[in-house]
Amino acid sequence: MKDILDRFSRITADPYKFVSDWKESNKKKVIGCFPMDIPEEIVHAADMLPVVIWRGNEPVTWGHAHLTTYNCGLVRSFIDDAVKGKLGFMDGMILWRQCLQVHELPYIIETNVHPAYFSYLYLPATFPGEVSRNFAVEEFERMKRGLEEFGGNTITVEALNRSIEIYNRNRSLLRKLYDLRRKNPGVLKAKEVLAIVQSSMLMPKEDHNKLLEDLLMNIEKKEASTDGKKKVVLTGSLCQTPQAAILDLIEDLGMVVVDDDMYIGTRYFDNDVEVTANPMQSFADRYFKPTPPSATKGDWTVHWGDSVTDTVRRNHADGVISLLIKFCPPHLCYYPDVKMRLREAEIPEVLIEVEHEMVSLENTRTRLQSFIESIGGL
Amino acid sequence: MIVAGIDLGSLATKTVILDIDATMLSFHILRSGPVYHGVAETSLGKALDSAGLARDDVAYIVSTGYGRRRAPFADAEVTEITCHARGAKYIIPEARTVIDIGGQDSKVILVNEKGHVVNFVMNDKCAAGTGRFLEVMANSLDVSIERLGEFSLQSQQEVEVSSMCTVFAESEVISLRAEGCAVMDIIAALHRAIARRIIGMVGQVGMREKVAMTGGVAKNIGVVRALEYKLGTNIILPDEPQISGALGAALIALDKVGSARDRM
Amino acid sequence: MEKEYKLNRLETTKLMGPMVDKHWAELRTAKERGERVGWCSGPMFIFPYAMDMKCHFMAGYAAYCAGRGAAEQVLEAAESVGELLDTCSYHRLHMGMAAAIEKNIPVKEEVLLPMPDLLIIGRFCTEMSHYAEGLYRRYSTPVVAVDMPPPQDKEDIARLEKYVEGQIRGSLIPEIERVCGRPFDYDRMSEILSVLKQACTLRNECWEFAKVNPTPWTLWDYGVSIAPIFYMMGKPESVTYYTKLRDELAERVEKKIPVMLPDGENYRLYWDSWLPWAFLGKIIRSFTKFGAVPICGRYPWEFFDHPEDIEPEPDPVRNWVQLYYTKSHIAYHASTKGGIDLISKLVEDYSIDGLVMLASKTCRFWQGQVPIINHIEKKYGIPGILLEIDQADASFYSDAQVDTRLQALFEMIDGRRRVI
Repeated sequence: MKDILDRFSRITADPYKFVSDWKESNKKKVIGCFPMDIPEEIVHAADMLPVVIWRGNEPVTWGHAHLTTYNCGLVRSFIDDAVKGKLGFMDGMILWRQCLQVHELPYIIETNVHPAYFSYLYLPATFPGEVSRNFAVEEFERMKRGLEEFGGNTITVEALNRSIEIYNRNRSLLRKLYDLRRKNPGVLKAKEVLAIVQSSMLMPKEDHNKLLEDLLMNIEKKEASTDGKKKVVLTGSLCQTPQAAILDLIEDLGMVVVDDDMYIGTRYFDNDVEVTANPMQSFADRYFKPTPPSATKGDWTVHWGDSVTDTVRRNHADGVISLLIKFCPPHLCYYPDVKMRLREAEIPEVLIEVEHEMVSLENTRTRLQSFIESIGGL
Repeated sequence: MIVAGIDLGSLATKTVILDIDATMLSFHILRSGPVYHGVAETSLGKALDSAGLARDDVAYIVSTGYGRRRAPFADAEVTEITCHARGAKYIIPEARTVIDIGGQDSKVILVNEKGHVVNFVMNDKCAAGTGRFLEVMANSLDVSIERLGEFSLQSQQEVEVSSMCTVFAESEVISLRAEGCAVMDIIAALHRAIARRIIGMVGQVGMREKVAMTGGVAKNIGVVRALEYKLGTNIILPDEPQISGALGAALIALDKVGSARDRM
Repeated sequence: MEKEYKLNRLETTKLMGPMVDKHWAELRTAKERGERVGWCSGPMFIFPYAMDMKCHFMAGYAAYCAGRGAAEQVLEAAESVGELLDTCSYHRLHMGMAAAIEKNIPVKEEVLLPMPDLLIIGRFCTEMSHYAEGLYRRYSTPVVAVDMPPPQDKEDIARLEKYVEGQIRGSLIPEIERVCGRPFDYDRMSEILSVLKQACTLRNECWEFAKVNPTPWTLWDYGVSIAPIFYMMGKPESVTYYTKLRDELAERVEKKIPVMLPDGENYRLYWDSWLPWAFLGKIIRSFTKFGAVPICGRYPWEFFDHPEDIEPEPDPVRNWVQLYYTKSHIAYHASTKGGIDLISKLVEDYSIDGLVMLASKTCRFWQGQVPIINHIEKKYGIPGILLEIDQADASFYSDAQVDTRLQALFEMIDGRRRVI
């Protein structure tokens, strides 16, 4: 078990090396897909490796020549990595109209990086009505056609469904991982769970499935004690990884993470894609699912605060830690409503702002320590 | 048997000594200085001296504040949020919202009837809304910081200092002076600016009556009035607003000793 | 050589104040008269107007609120209910206004509006959806939404047009019909477009005068004149206003009367992003000190810059969408490529000396501000600067930053002039 965990940790510590090495050995194309909702299965069915674009490993420098500093870490570090030439191994990139930050990227990428393949999707807000849904299907079809042209091969329905099954398998294994953690919080460190999910975003799902199956068998046998530890749910961190150091801090201070709704977390594997004769419709069905509530999709009929409350209650958790990526407008706009719901439900919550360049953890430590003190961990 | 609470703040280190019945035997405030090492010891020593007590008499020490981990002799370290809440509630039993504006951070804490923290919001990322803001401005206007509050109440005309950033606000102040604005009016504007920063934090936490204020800036009557005006309520002040953190730490020390005794 | 510059204000623009006040006053009292009220984000208000609904428009409200000096109060009200500072200040203005109504927080009465019967989203900026979602979550106001993406590339335009039109017919119009209890009035929409066409044609004549050096008017003057051809569109006063304005400008040009006294402008500038409503006085002074005038901008050119494309009949709905997409490319100009296209033309047509980009801390709608400066600089040899402030929130504003950067821009322009 330790070997597999170490492997995941190494992969996520240097995704650049891992993905470029993989490409070298396997001689297949690599397509970077921007979080959160691009159907990677289409890339997979085109016999290319989809990787979910990650937050870089250095403070942003040259990236700021193209984009102002008050944008989220993922977007800034992606540009930084791209213009520094660190993403040369990506044959293609697919971005989409998720939020205001991303729409700055296409021009900058096209003019500075010239990837062999570049596509920008206009995945719609999930507003009610057939027009929105049909448009999503059209965009997914456009994505497929673009990849067919780039790859020189037709992507068949059969190939798509095969990929969907493999992806669903990965989702179900990750769900199992989370179930095991819910039953036995602390069986893995939070940063280990993060690395497991993120490494799924960097390697072929078939490979990840094998490793996961192995890992899960071992986790089932392991016992962890949560005596005296306060159980917390992590919410937020849309699109990108929070710093592992913050996750360590949470645990060092006597808390244990029992569940989350982060993107590098449950959001990635919630909801399967149905295997049908029309995979594009199936992708649209998954995309339009109202839960988990997504701050980026424009759905006003569900409330993120309710979903967080349910997660807390299901897990008998002691409190919520909101991880707010700095300069994330969808989260900024939604946060006060989530907080209000948690307050109404009398669920203790603390807000931790997460930045790409986190200079000092001292402030975060004080907040987290005060939080655990306030929930009885004194 | 006595306990001690030591609050190692960025500007001042405060110690409170309590006896077993939570009676305050003494307290001491001393400037922290840039080198923390030894300051906690000195502060504790001075507080003990003024109570005529010895170090051996101290059963339990809790440290708090920015430098709380630099008192290695302390038995436990607890954050200033928890300690300020506890201390303020002890002095002002009806307090449910505690506004603490210190040297380099500010916080708003919601506290329950037991003195436990229900919710809190902090600003410790920049000088806006902290004692540092006032220090910089006092310096810029060549006015002593102790008199800022009373001067602000003498304002005749409303002017505005709107920038959140302390550095930018300072340049606004300089411009206003150059334009011939009265110093009192500028000082009043600065107090409103601080109050505005705090209001946002109160909003995030959700205000509950009664509202109390702790921390060094509570001694500034101008900030208190500006906050009262914006909050639409009276703010209760302890006699010694700077020591509520240390007091809270000492109360927590008493808890620890008490529960240890219960376990025995 | 310290020349004393002074702006020579127009007479016609003085008419705007009372017109705008009347518009907002009617909106404020609409419910008392039993009228239905819509709140629009994105440029969708033509649809409720066609049904005689009174409508508030998000960016217009921000301009009005800031113009009335109430922005800070309303923003404070937002903060007092937990809104975070980094959030879009237009979003905070609306949450603040709603909170002020709900909790009786004292703000200037003229900036309070009745809660709407319908929230109409035009998701041109994704934020325009967030604000309605937030209002729905807190106040359960009915929402109808149309997604209106700015095209990144010309090849996307036709496809997106079809998508937008489909949503308007499929969701927006049926919902408005339901709320108003009657069929959608396409004829009224055609009438509004007709009046809009007339007003915008006159407005374009006014723009022509700005190509002259010295210019008879500035972007500040145009900025306060936007309402009649945008969120107050369709009113006959819009035609009257722009006729008067055109005549006044024609007279100035004939008599060679510049807007910048004593003898014309020193610098002709492009202004990107929203107009700085909350800081207009200060910024105008900062510009005028140097004899600088803003002449044109991407945002104020959003208001139907090709009135020849407006065809009120036979299909006003299709035509309206085409104005944003295939015909006038209005939506495309918000993107980097579209912005570069438009701004290049503006630089050429209006003999622009430099670019000023309002780079707001809390707004990211106007794409590519940095690449645009780089591109224009390479192509035309003219410099550009960012003003890192905010569109409505004074806490992000620094006088020193604005003055220093503007002065640096003018020095850069001077430097290039000396070389040439």
